[in-house]
Amino acid sequence: MFSVLSYGRLVARAVLGGLSQTDSRDYSLVTASCGFGKDFRKGILKKGMCYGDDACFVARHRTADVLGVADGVGGWRDYGVDPSQFSGTLMRTCERLVKEGRFVPSNPVGILTAGYCELLQNKVPLLGSSTACIVVLDRSSHRLHTANLGDSGFLVVRQHYFNTPFQLSIAPPEAEGVVLSDSPEAADSTSFDVQLGDIILTATDGLFDNMPDYMILQELKKLKNSNYESIQQTARSIAEQAHELFACDNGLNVRGGKPDDITVLLSIVAEYTD
Amino acid sequence: MPPVFPMLTVLSMFYYMCLRRRARTATRGEMNSRRAIESNTRALPINVEIVQYAKEVLDFSSHYGSENSMSYTMWNLAGIPNVYPSSGDFTQTAVFRTYGTWWDRCPSARLPFKRTPSTFCSQDYVELAFEEPVYPTAVHILETYHPGAVVRILACSANPYSQNPPAEVRWEILWSEAPSKVNGPQARQFTPCIKQINFPTNLIRLEVNSSLLDYYTELDAVVLHGVKERPVLSLKTSMIDMNDIDEDEDEEKFACGMDALNKQFSIVTLREWPTNGYFDKLPYELIQLILSHLTVPDLCRLAQTCKLLYQHCCDPLQYIHLSLQPYWARINDTSLEHLQSRCTLIQWLNLSWTGNRGAISVSGFSRFLKVCGSELVRLELSCGHFLNETCLEVITEMCPNLQELNLSSCDKIPPQAFNHIAKVGSLKRLILYRTKVEQTALLSILNFCSELQHLSLGSCVMIEDYDLIASMMGAKCKKLRSLDLWRCKNITESGIAELASGCQLLEELDLGWCPTLQSSTGCFTNLARKLPNLQKLFLTANRSVCDTDIEELAANCTHLRQLDILGTRMVSPASLRKLLESCKDLSLLDVSFCSQIDNRVVLELNANFPNVFIKKSFTQ
Repeated sequence: MFSVLSYGRLVARAVLGGLSQTDSRDYSLVTASCGFGKDFRKGILKKGMCYGDDACFVARHRTADVLGVADGVGGWRDYGVDPSQFSGTLMRTCERLVKEGRFVPSNPVGILTAGYCELLQNKVPLLGSSTACIVVLDRSSHRLHTANLGDSGFLVVRQHYFNTPFQLSIAPPEAEGVVLSDSPEAADSTSFDVQLGDIILTATDGLFDNMPDYMILQELKKLKNSNYESIQQTARSIAEQAHELFACDNGLNVRGGKPDDITVLLSIVAEYTD
Repeated sequence: MPPVFPMLTVLSMFYYMCLRRRARTATRGEMNSRRAIESNTRALPINVEIVQYAKEVLDFSSHYGSENSMSYTMWNLAGIPNVYPSSGDFTQTAVFRTYGTWWDRCPSARLPFKRTPSTFCSQDYVELAFEEPVYPTAVHILETYHPGAVVRILACSANPYSQNPPAEVRWEILWSEAPSKVNGPQARQFTPCIKQINFPTNLIRLEVNSSLLDYYTELDAVVLHGVKERPVLSLKTSMIDMNDIDEDEDEEKFACGMDALNKQFSIVTLREWPTNGYFDKLPYELIQLILSHLTVPDLCRLAQTCKLLYQHCCDPLQYIHLSLQPYWARINDTSLEHLQSRCTLIQWLNLSWTGNRGAISVSGFSRFLKVCGSELVRLELSCGHFLNETCLEVITEMCPNLQELNLSSCDKIPPQAFNHIAKVGSLKRLILYRTKVEQTALLSILNFCSELQHLSLGSCVMIEDYDLIASMMGAKCKKLRSLDLWRCKNITESGIAELASGCQLLEELDLGWCPTLQSSTGCFTNLARKLPNLQKLFLTANRSVCDTDIEELAANCTHLRQLDILGTRMVSPASLRKLLESCKDLSLLDVSFCSQIDNRVVLELNANFPNVFIKKSFTQ
């Protein structure tokens, strides 16, 4: 009797769950990162996640998954300043703000602003500037909130049900900005709903400048499931392809790419499991 | 083999006796450590130890960081370590506002209260809440830079996460020690041997004394080890406990002294004696003088011995200067009520850190001041979270002679309530560090309190326009000698100009972390030329301070004793050399994170100017 009752309850719940339009499950981002410094050294070089002058972070909090990329402006090298110090510190600071819960998921610009303010609070006099892009997934509301300052960017790619091809939902903004003269509040901010299986590609201009969208989509198509290993593999393959586009053979740049640091964060919206 | 058993019994008795004797003769520290180990090993099998990092920082007396940021703030003590085991000066740690004795050696230094017991040396505190209440078995403090500041660890019986207000708030000292010098800035995990307590706790308080440190101490995280069930004590351990109670002088003093004050002061059932023996031959004043060396709890105890001494101990002349800060955990409305009758002549009163968690009520505080406020000259109320607008009103009404008022970190006082302070025209010192004082209230204080000599406005976040404040100071506060504007967000060269031309007696100026001051506007040059009496100048983290500023200081401010120019890229060794040559009194020079001043330069300057403490902090 008891088993029948509980079985019935399960069935009822399944039916109701199927009928209801709102998805009560929490979402999360499964994210892998890969990148190259333009001086052909691969992988994590400095403390934290830095590729050349680029830096990135992936952080989780109770209410949201947050990731970000920043591209340190290389011109500072002429002044004897390591450009990665600024971008790296900015990303590490944003990561800490997220981990400590000092942010509101719907306000990614706030993370950038607070991170920038913390840089000014450092006893060490930091010099430099960087572009930055922050992506926040609100677990329960299934909304993606983004902030973008400069020429880094992100793509959201959704696979349609009946074998329809991948489709671009949002393109990286073309406008170029410089952090030094802009306040972090100047960042473009957008919010939109996401679904399970949506792919979010966050990267610095090293990727978007070198690799056309169709090539990126082609690579993304190869992504079959949402486990970390396959995401990591796809991320690496995208970064490698972009890297090869400007890699020189025998000192000759035959493919016409622009040498730059590349940072790729590839995420899939999946059901939240803890 | 029957004879073996009696033999064993005799042996075990002998062993037991030895143990008892050892327990009695052992010093306190040894016993504590042994007891901690014993209880640990005993507790483990039946009772799993819980290890927790702090969940939240509830309260603290000061910090280096800004109120709207995380860097160098006490809030960094919550959660897992960010820096440990690295050593160095990192933003992710908790840093207090001061170190060493530098702040006691400037014009704004306050006189210490007499009768402070030697066991109390805390200068700052921080209170941490943990998730689960436990019987603590160990407390680990991860100190990542210049360790050695923690002098006391206390546990509270009240659960900060409980919905019901606690019937009784008890604080127990888990560990305490006099400050000791730790050599070097290297990180360490500090694990003192803590006392066992008989209630579960999830509220831990650290008290620090940084006076022996060479630089700011930085704390990364606090780990609380403990068990859910009360550890079962064996016969042996409880025996040691019994002995411990007899020998534990300090804690008894702390715990019972103020209880005696509360309970037994009012009951006078002392027998009448015809004479007081030799005491009758001593002059009244001499007995008074002898008693003036006693701490307050000792005075309370002495009052219970005989009628003559009771009379002496109740003489209001014994309570001209009264500091209740060392007994913050025990002071409540009742103790104030009992002290009331003998504090009618009180001039200095220190109630800092007291009265929190409902111990002192607004009405209790008001009643006390109504009786004892008339002669009051100095009132210290740092971290008094019970203070509200009514309290400030009572202070201004009842204390017409007040000259010094310390409200630092009283962050529960509403912004406009500070208006009342303007009525105390005799005010010479006002400390509003980390309060919510707002602009109009402060303007009216400055307008009416023209006697002000020392003013601290550090980290006052509610003030919108510091230039307005500075120009009011320049116009009205001609007697200002020290001014603390640490972390004021928007003062500019125009405010500085009005300040420098109006307050020419300034000897001490803290402009640390004022990011809107630009050297290119000439503000620092202006300061140096207008304020020749400057003894202390903090320009901490002003990235624009340059050689010109240093040279102007060298030329004009020859009495300079303390200078902080941390974090500027623009100052060269040559200008520092000039400064050191012309400012002979200079004893503190902080050049941390000045990129042109490397370790080699510091070594060279140290060799040529051995009397100057040149500070150079590091991150790695």
